[in-house]
Formats: sequence, structure tokens, C-alpha cells
Amino acid sequence: MSDTPLIRLVDVTKTYHLESGDFVALDCVSLDIRENDFVAIMGPSGSGKSTMMNQLGILDVPTSGNLYIDGNDVAKMSNVERTHLRRDTIGYIFQKFYLIPLLSAYENVEYPLILKNKTRDTTGRTSAMLDAVGIDREKSEHRPNQLSGGQQQRVAIARALVNDPKILLCDEPTGNLDRKTGYQIMEILCNLQREGKTVILVTHDPKVAEYAERTIRLEDGRIAEET
Amino acid sequence: MIGDIFLELSVRSVKLNFTRSLLASIGIVIGVVAISTMGMLGTNMALQVEDQLSASANTIVITADAIRMGPPGMGSSSSSSSSSGISKTQLNKIKTAVGENGTVIPLYSTTTQFTSGNIQGRGTIYGMNPADVNEFLTIGNGTNIAGMNQALIGLTLAESMGLDVGDRIKISSASEGPPTNASSSSSRATVTIVGIVDPRGTTSDSVSSDNGIIVSKEWYTAQYGGKDQYTQVNVLVDDTDMISEIEEEINTLVNTDKKTQSIRISDASSQLDTISETLSTLTLFCLAIGGISLVVAAVSIFNVMMMSVNERVQEIGILLSIGTETGEVRRMFLYEAFILGILGAGMGGLMSIVIGYSVVDAMIGTTEYFFMPASIFYVPVGMCVGLVVCVLSGVYPAWRASNMDPIDALRSD
Repeated sequence: MSDTPLIRLVDVTKTYHLESGDFVALDCVSLDIRENDFVAIMGPSGSGKSTMMNQLGILDVPTSGNLYIDGNDVAKMSNVERTHLRRDTIGYIFQKFYLIPLLSAYENVEYPLILKNKTRDTTGRTSAMLDAVGIDREKSEHRPNQLSGGQQQRVAIARALVNDPKILLCDEPTGNLDRKTGYQIMEILCNLQREGKTVILVTHDPKVAEYAERTIRLEDGRIAEET
Repeated sequence: MIGDIFLELSVRSVKLNFTRSLLASIGIVIGVVAISTMGMLGTNMALQVEDQLSASANTIVITADAIRMGPPGMGSSSSSSSSSGISKTQLNKIKTAVGENGTVIPLYSTTTQFTSGNIQGRGTIYGMNPADVNEFLTIGNGTNIAGMNQALIGLTLAESMGLDVGDRIKISSASEGPPTNASSSSSRATVTIVGIVDPRGTTSDSVSSDNGIIVSKEWYTAQYGGKDQYTQVNVLVDDTDMISEIEEEINTLVNTDKKTQSIRISDASSQLDTISETLSTLTLFCLAIGGISLVVAAVSIFNVMMMSVNERVQEIGILLSIGTETGEVRRMFLYEAFILGILGAGMGGLMSIVIGYSVVDAMIGTTEYFFMPASIFYVPVGMCVGLVVCVLSGVYPAWRASNMDPIDALRSD
């Protein structure tokens, strides 16, 4: 494991130009996240959590400052390069699962592999990922709307893991689940961190944040506290 | 399972909204049918005319620049014979120019009136050497002219006047003008029909035998005068490749003589060119009308594609956020437009054959040329145009989908 942080934010600022005036969502944020970290990002609504997640997920680029993901300066990359970095390095887990409604659970998990290899999965990795998150063969044939919330989130985790990314970005991963299922999902994430993944999760729930080794509290686009 | 995941997604999207997709495709179906049918109709017309004209493609028609129609009531007088028509000298020069390369058929003709019983008719009467009749006409019923007062008539004329072999008709000695009454019976001559000439349809040799009466040249000149002043001379060329050469030879021999009246030389190819050009313009016009329906179809497809994009904004956001390239999203929507096009063009192609066949049969009266390559060619052309229009209609929606901001797209619900 190298000393170089897996993710480095240097004075990252994100400003939105609105009709009512400029809105600074992230204000000179500097942060290092190392490989195998388990980081929780907390904060009230409008504190900049989602903006931070979009930056870390390379869905957006900073207005100023520098963001490095796995040694790559995001601002200097082309759109296609950013897309490939997102596909290969980051696994995204959303609060609303965001599975592709027209594909079965199996196909949803297989999809990132197809994007990467430009061919269907014949290695058995998709099935292995589904087994690992507790989705059996029969359930894997179902479309997302035929699965429960917990099952959908398990499929979403399998999809996020199938390309073996270094980083797992989790945006309120238990927000739409009951307590018991939420606990099971958090156990899966903890296991993944133990296996070497870097887990970053955004949450409102202090109990969920307790699973993390580091907690960063955002307020008005700045890091107010880090524990 | 189809190999390409984006094609699979497009197929499933079309299946999910099948009724809507089918309705949008109907626009393409109508467009393809319109283009194919109009194209086939025009081509079938052209093929029919070409076929009829090509029957006389080996014929050179020679006329005097000012054609003498025959002096009314002049009897056997030849007082006007020097005014126009092709003279015997010119005919001999034509024969010299043609040599062994064809048959020279001099013809007299005029428009006249005739009666059979109480029925009056009007048509063209041709005077020619009976030996030349079988060179370009076919006597379907009866025999050829063998005597002075014998005539052949065209089948169309025979049917319209209810005439048959053995019937008699009285022909006016006036080439044109009001019908004469019984009181002027001295100006009418009676001929007996000895044969019916088979129909030839549209021809380029200026002999409308279908509606004409054919008599011997002796009877004609006795009735109308103008001996050795032929209305036209037809040359039946043995080898059509030699037409231009023979025409040039005739022109050189006859038209260089400044003392005689010049002659006009034409053949089927020049007439065919004019008719083909007219029919091409007509076909193009019909195709343009068909094209309008495809424009309407394009708007319909565009609308359905925009609906599809707007309904799937969040899905597009998911695809982009988990590493799908913009080009792959674009491809997915173009596939969808392509599927709609295949659906519309496929149905349109099949319907074009059925509807086109019926329309051609109803409008032209024959489907003899329908399956010829030049005609049936319009079915794949219509299908390709429909398909291309469909894919082009999907370009903007696909571009719009691929250029969405994934963050905004994910938030869209």
C-alpha cells in the first residue's frame, strides 16, 4: 500500500451560478482519503454532502482547486477518461438503488462488466457477486420491480463490486431500508472494507456513521469537524 | 439474448411501449407504401410505353416538311402533286440510301369519313402496296388486299362499328370536311372488308392501324389523287444498330438537293426519349408526394423518440453514472429509432407489394411489368428511405439523451 492518498482534495471549491446569485456548495475543502479507509460524511441538508459525493464520484468537476482520484487529476481528464475511471475505480451505491428497470438483477450486475469488456460475462463473476450478497439464481432472473428494497440494494452492491473497484461510494445506502435490512447491508459494507475496499458513505444516521473509522462533518460547504 | 446490451435495452424499451411504437411506425408504413407504389406506377407506365414503342423501334419515319393531306374532292387529279409530299425521285433516293439494309414502304394517308349502313365513322385511311402490309401488320382475321375495291381495317375500328370480314363501307372521296349525303353518292366509293388487322397499341411509325382503313395505293390515288406524292415513307431497318447510319445516308442523299423540298427523318428513339422524359418527371412528382407522407412520419417518430428519452431520464442518469459512455447512450437510442424503422419499413415493404400490385393493375390495366427489376426495385428503395428517415428522426433525441448531465438526470424523479 503506497503513501499516496487514494483520493486527495486540495482547496476544492464548487460554485453554482444561480439566478439569485452564486451559491458556493463546497468552499476550499481539502481532504485526503487513503486506501482501505472507511469514511462517513455527515452534515445537515445543504451542507454540501451531495456535492462532495458528486465530486468523489467524478460526476462533476471542481470550479477551482484540485481533485485527485487514484493519482489522476480529474480536471485534466477528458470526458471519456473520466467515464472510464468512474467505471473501473468507483462503485456507486445509491439510496434509491437506481437499478436499470429494463434489465434483470443478473443483467444489472453484469452491465458494468459488459461496459468494461465489451462482451457478455462468461467467467461466472456476475453469479459469484450475486451469491456473495445473498441473491439466489431464481431471484437474479427478476426485474428490479419484482424485488424487495433490501434485495435491490444487495443487487446494487453486487453491481458496484463486479468490476472490482478500489472505492465504494455509498449515498445513504440504508435510507430506504428497514432497520434489520439496513444492519445487514452495513455488515456487508464492513466486510468489504475489511477485504480492502475504501468505503465512503454519506448518511444522516449517526448509528450508521458509527460503522466508519473516520467521520467528516460538513457545514456550509466546509469541513466543520473530523473525528 | 442479443449480444449487444444496448440493442437489448432498445428492444425491451420498444416492447414495453409496443402500441405507441407500432402507431409511430404506421407513419413510416404509409410513407414507404406511398413512395414504392408511386415509383412502381410510374415505372410500369414507362415500361409499357417503351415496350409498345420498341415494337416499331426498327422503323425510320420520313415525312415531307409540309405534308399534303390530299385535295378534297379532287378525284384523280394530280394538279397539286408538285406542292408537297415525298416525290418519286426522293423515294428512289431513299431506296438507294437504304439499299439491302431494310425495306422501304411508301404510304399515302389522309383523314376521312365513311359510313357502314347507318353508322358514320371517321378515321385515317392508308394507301399502300398490298405486298408491304405483312411487313409490319398482322392480319388476324381474313386475307390481304387482292383487288381494287378491297380494304383492311383495324380491330378497334371494326369492334366500335360492328364490322367484320365481308362487310362493305362507303368512303368519302373528300379527305376532310362535313359528311356527304346520299345525294352526293358519286363522291363515295364502296370497299369490301377482306381482313381485320391485329391491334398494335401505341407505335412510333405514325401508322394508327388500330383505328385505320388500309386500301391499295391504286385505289387511294384514284380516289384522292396525289399519285407519287407520298405522305410518308417508312423504312424497316434490318439491324437497329444501323438506324443512325441509314438516316444520315438518307439525309445526305435527299436533303442536299436544294431543288426539292426537304424531308424530316425521325425514329422511335427520339419519341421514346420525349415520352421517357415526361414519364420520369411524372414519376418524380409522384415520389415527391409520397415523400411528404414520410416527412409526417418523421415528425411522428421524432415525437415518440423524444417521449422515450423524457420517460427514461433517470435511467439515462444511472447509465451515465455507472460508467456508460455518451456514445453508448446515443447508440442505444439510435437502435430504438432503427427498430421502429425496421418495423415500419418491413410492414411497408410487404404492403407496398400488395397495394402497389392492385394500384398498377387498376391504373394501367396490366401487371405484366410489375415484377420486373426496374419496377420492384422501388420496394427496397422505399424501405431504405423509410429506414433512413426513421434513424435520422432519432438523431436529435439520441444526442439529447447522451448529453444529459448525469447528476440532473438522477435527480429527475
